[in-house]
Amino acid sequence: MPKVPVDKLEPGMNLARPVTKGNIVLLSKDTKLTETLIKKIQDMEINGVYIDGPSHQSIPKDEALAQLDRRFKNVEDRPYMNMLKKLVKEHIEGLYD
Amino acid sequence: MIDMDIKSLRRKVENINNLPTIPSTLKRISKIIEDPTISLKEIGKFISNDPALTTKILKMVNSAFYGFPGRISSASHATVLLGSNVIRGLLVGVSVFELMQNAMLGLWEHSLGCAITSRLMAKRKGLKDYDDVYAAGLLHDIGKIILILEFPKEYKEAMNEAKLKNVTIAEIEGDHFVADHADIGSWLAEKWLFPRNLIEVIRYHHKPHLSKSAPIETAIVHLADILLRANGMGFAGDPFVPALNPAAFEVLKLSETDLREILEEMEDSLEVTEELSL
Repeated sequence: MPKVPVDKLEPGMNLARPVTKGNIVLLSKDTKLTETLIKKIQDMEINGVYIDGPSHQSIPKDEALAQLDRRFKNVEDRPYMNMLKKLVKEHIEGLYD
Repeated sequence: MIDMDIKSLRRKVENINNLPTIPSTLKRISKIIEDPTISLKEIGKFISNDPALTTKILKMVNSAFYGFPGRISSASHATVLLGSNVIRGLLVGVSVFELMQNAMLGLWEHSLGCAITSRLMAKRKGLKDYDDVYAAGLLHDIGKIILILEFPKEYKEAMNEAKLKNVTIAEIEGDHFVADHADIGSWLAEKWLFPRNLIEVIRYHHKPHLSKSAPIETAIVHLADILLRANGMGFAGDPFVPALNPAAFEVLKLSETDLREILEEMEDSLEVTEELSL
């Protein structure tokens, strides 16, 4: 699920996540983009929207997680660091879904 | 270990304008920001007279992430909107950008990412001065730039040592340079007459529990710094995540859900930093 900059959107793309402003949903998930909708999105103060499809990460997932382990290796037993690492790990894994 | 006591080091740092490697823009800017009598209008005029600086500042304040309601088309408009403290912080930030790129690859991404993350956390905590917190995040590691400029060879050695010993660069700077980048950055911020809170954030971003006048702001930048490193965004002198200060983290009262959302918002900011490569 890549995040696509607003100037790279094309008609026919599907929103993988809703477009929101504050708590208001402006466009719901699974909306198929049209020229008109793209123009509307480009007028909003946002820099990109999530589109269905595979995302492109610069390194493979295994390598990203191995690097995460190395970054945290000195501090895993310190207060809150395990929780933080768990959250970052989930976040990184989410980028590869 | 450099052959210098802490007083001489401080004098050297405060006379940074005499360094041949300091870019001329920063020299001119430091003259402007050290002048307590200067008006907002004069700052605006100073920026407008420098096309490169104007472009950089406008690019920064017009990024979608920065979230201004309208487009900011002129330096004077930006100055009025942001106020003197924030604009002075941005001026220093953009003028040392090139130095950051050359001296330490990834430090600009780290600093800008930290600025953006600090700002969004400040907003989340309901702080009114979130743009000031942005400036503090942007400049928190400015002491590293100064150390690299003053002692290029010695700083490289310290970086290698940190990597070998599995420690963060901040933990060994004191052994090499009498003071660490947080002290050094705060000396400069004092000399530049930055506001008390900004000086405190720079001085205590690794010891946030010591901050008296800006405990929340300092805790925010402390956590933003750690989140950036945890996520592997940018580079700040060593490849390790420093430990979180538990007291500072508790001050912020952030739930796991908050942190998850902050990580998501940071991901958005990554694209902005790419776009903002000045």
